Amino acid sequence: MAATQRIRLPAETALTAGLCVVVTALVLAPVFAVVLGATHETGGLSLRSLVNVVSSARVIGNTLLVGFGTTALAVLIGGALALILVRIDTPGRGLLEQCVILPLYITPLLTAIAWSWLGSPRGGLLNVVGRELLGIDQLVNLHGAAGVVFVAALAYVPLPFLLVSGALRAMDPALEDSARVHGASAAHAFARVTLPLVLPAALGSAMLVFVQAMGLFSVPAVLGMPSGFYVAGTEIYRLINNYPPRFGQAAAWGLLLLAVTALLVWLQAAVLQRRSFVTVTGKAFRPRLVLVGRARYSLAAVAWVYVAAAVILPVATLLWASLVNFITVDPKLMAFDLRHFRYVLFTYPKTYLAAQNSLLLGIATATLVCGLGLGIGWVLVRTQSRARGFLDQVSMIPLALPSIVLALGLLWTYVGVSWLPIYGTIFILLLAYVTHYLPFGVRAASGALRQLHPELEDAARVSGAGLFKTLWLVVLPLTRPTLAAAWTLLFILAIQEVSASILLYTSRTTVMSVAVFDLWEAGNVNALAALSVLQLAITFVALTLVLRTRQRAVAA
Amino acid sequence: MSEVRAAVSVEELVVGYGGVTAVDGVSFTVGVGEHLTLLGPSGCGKTTTLRAIAGLESPRSGRIAIDGVHVYDGAAGVEAPPEDRGLSMVFQSYAIWPHMSVFDNVAFPFRVRGVSREASRTAVERALALVDLAGFGDRPATRLSGGQQQRVALARAVAFESKVVLLDEPLSNLDAQLRVQMRSELSDLRRRLGFTAIYVTHDQEEAFSLSDSIVVMRAGRIEQQGSPADIQGAPRTRFVASFLGMRNIFEAEITPATDGLVEARLADDTVLRARDPWGDGRPGKAAIAFHPSNVDVRKHAGGTAGTVTRVLFGGVTAQIFVSSGPLEICAVTRPQADLAEGRPVTWHVAPEDCLVLRE
Repeated sequence: MAATQRIRLPAETALTAGLCVVVTALVLAPVFAVVLGATHETGGLSLRSLVNVVSSARVIGNTLLVGFGTTALAVLIGGALALILVRIDTPGRGLLEQCVILPLYITPLLTAIAWSWLGSPRGGLLNVVGRELLGIDQLVNLHGAAGVVFVAALAYVPLPFLLVSGALRAMDPALEDSARVHGASAAHAFARVTLPLVLPAALGSAMLVFVQAMGLFSVPAVLGMPSGFYVAGTEIYRLINNYPPRFGQAAAWGLLLLAVTALLVWLQAAVLQRRSFVTVTGKAFRPRLVLVGRARYSLAAVAWVYVAAAVILPVATLLWASLVNFITVDPKLMAFDLRHFRYVLFTYPKTYLAAQNSLLLGIATATLVCGLGLGIGWVLVRTQSRARGFLDQVSMIPLALPSIVLALGLLWTYVGVSWLPIYGTIFILLLAYVTHYLPFGVRAASGALRQLHPELEDAARVSGAGLFKTLWLVVLPLTRPTLAAAWTLLFILAIQEVSASILLYTSRTTVMSVAVFDLWEAGNVNALAALSVLQLAITFVALTLVLRTRQRAVAA
Repeated sequence: MSEVRAAVSVEELVVGYGGVTAVDGVSFTVGVGEHLTLLGPSGCGKTTTLRAIAGLESPRSGRIAIDGVHVYDGAAGVEAPPEDRGLSMVFQSYAIWPHMSVFDNVAFPFRVRGVSREASRTAVERALALVDLAGFGDRPATRLSGGQQQRVALARAVAFESKVVLLDEPLSNLDAQLRVQMRSELSDLRRRLGFTAIYVTHDQEEAFSLSDSIVVMRAGRIEQQGSPADIQGAPRTRFVASFLGMRNIFEAEITPATDGLVEARLADDTVLRARDPWGDGRPGKAAIAFHPSNVDVRKHAGGTAGTVTRVLFGGVTAQIFVSSGPLEICAVTRPQADLAEGRPVTWHVAPEDCLVLRE
């Protein structure tokens, strides 16, 4: 035999190794930094910070209350809405379904601000109206634990709704039929067959909500801090922003949150492992509708009440506040013009900087997350690599990592790394965003790749294209519809991020949500409303684009 | 000893995933310009072998050489990626890229090697003309019928003039009529262009009509290799014999006979004279095999007596089952009115149609 091929590192191995390094740096480094920061002081190993934190029983209690309360309420409402809109002949189901998921695209910060105007104990619009019309002194009080849980639950309802309605659609109606045939009443069949089958989806969504709620910052910052109601997220913010900043103490809070969410993720996995259901066949069934007669109008009303509370009322309040000269409930004093928009657009110095940073971050985050997601998804779906388990697990960790804890970890990692001076730059925000949304990109890309016949790639390889050319010329164009939709959603989420940004921004790297929060802290309510409306407008435009791409993808 | 130069040689190839060994020590060579077929039932490892040659599966051990160059050598740690092997391949799913035009599909091997669209135009159009798709270049690939997609896949495989073309069940997704037509077109195309072909199929008709040599595989190993005539004339094992449709395979006691033949005594005490290409006529227990169409069933004639137990009509032929002692013989003949169920008959097989199997 003549000359043999030289030995070299195959492209697959290089790609896999590169991605392992990237996810380690993105995910494991900040987690490690939080653990290190919480357990060390300048003198060496020290558990003082942890002891301090564990003794703040009140804040721990508040955090758990918000975590569990929000999760329970959101899963209850989301699950009920899923049943009402998927399994019952509720009038206007189609439109309602679109409206119910809208809160996903509105940052909870805005919902919280709107509800704080509506429901603050003295000047809240609802209370003022109540006093004037009904003579009730205090109709509602949303400042404090109840308000935080109420608004956070409103914001996170779409997650359980999406997961539970997905499970209901994937369920073969024959399973219920067979229970009925074998003598179960409708209620019995529902309790013994349907509920257990959607339980994994409900539990999964509960986990997602719980992680977010435990690390919640914006809602308790708006509705809790003024009345002295602190949770872990706001406590971390206070520790970092007071002088001198107490990083160790903040890291200890981060570690505590991490421990609780990790424990619950582990528990959830343990619960679900013991019960495996083969109900998801990849086939979509037409769910059997339950006819409830006239009650269906009441159920539709219930769903609309949710949409009103989570979307219509907050957005309308923000719009009204951005247009009215000053906040009043006296119709005779109300005058509307665009002066607040003029102020925000032409006078307020931070608008352009914040908008520019947010847009840049949104574009960069969406692009990098889609790219990394495609790479990781490809390794997971197409290779037999032994690193698959590692990549899969580590790239999903951010789902169990409250973003404020992630931000703390990045702060701690890069404040001391002099050879990579990204601390205080926009890049540290980018790292936080990319890490936080990484699981979303991996899931979207893996799903798209599973739909793609692997021989399409094989044909390119045999035709002479290397791995990267194949990804560029064949895989990317064929997964584009999915990736384009994912890109736009990531863009929307990124331009509204609050919890990580609030710890990582500087005056040069402020972003839109932070600018909104600044105005809120400064009490400049009308300007804040105008800026929020601008932010929502960008979101709305991007969302319209997603829906149009999706329609084109369906048409093609 | 002069030999045809090997276009592809596979030595002691082992491919496995996890605990499964899909290909277990397979060796064969394909001469330049030859058509070799890997034939076997699904799961026999034929497609895995082909994909390992293409570089799409990573073997555990063995060697693969293309045109004298080792593209895989387990012991030496050599493994060339698919794009460096200079092959073409036609896939079972055709793998036509739906986001490209017909022209761009066929021009892809040129494009990724840096040849401009204009420079590749002649070759691409020639390839499209060869498969009767001249003028289809601007069509989106999604607006083609199954047969046309198959032709585009063929054009893509031959346009770049790779010396070796791999074909993975290329006709299995076509309807029966189109399959026969494409089979003869494929054969013409290979003669005209002179490429070496390695072809995977489970269809013996395809294998025998297209190939210069055939490798019959079973459970990751080679059962038999040789020319179509060799294999058809003398299947080596029970598996190959039954895969080729020899439904009658019975245990027999062999004793030597004259003319290079042997005598085989079956369980019903019938004695058949038979060929013994894989033995030396040595006496003892072995199996005897014959094809149903070679069984001569008559109402009255020489041969073993039996009774018709079942008749299955199948158009121009009928399958007739004859019980003969403890055996059930299957015969295929023209339907005959007097060969009805329950009738006494006699059956016989000529010595040249009767084969001793030693494995």
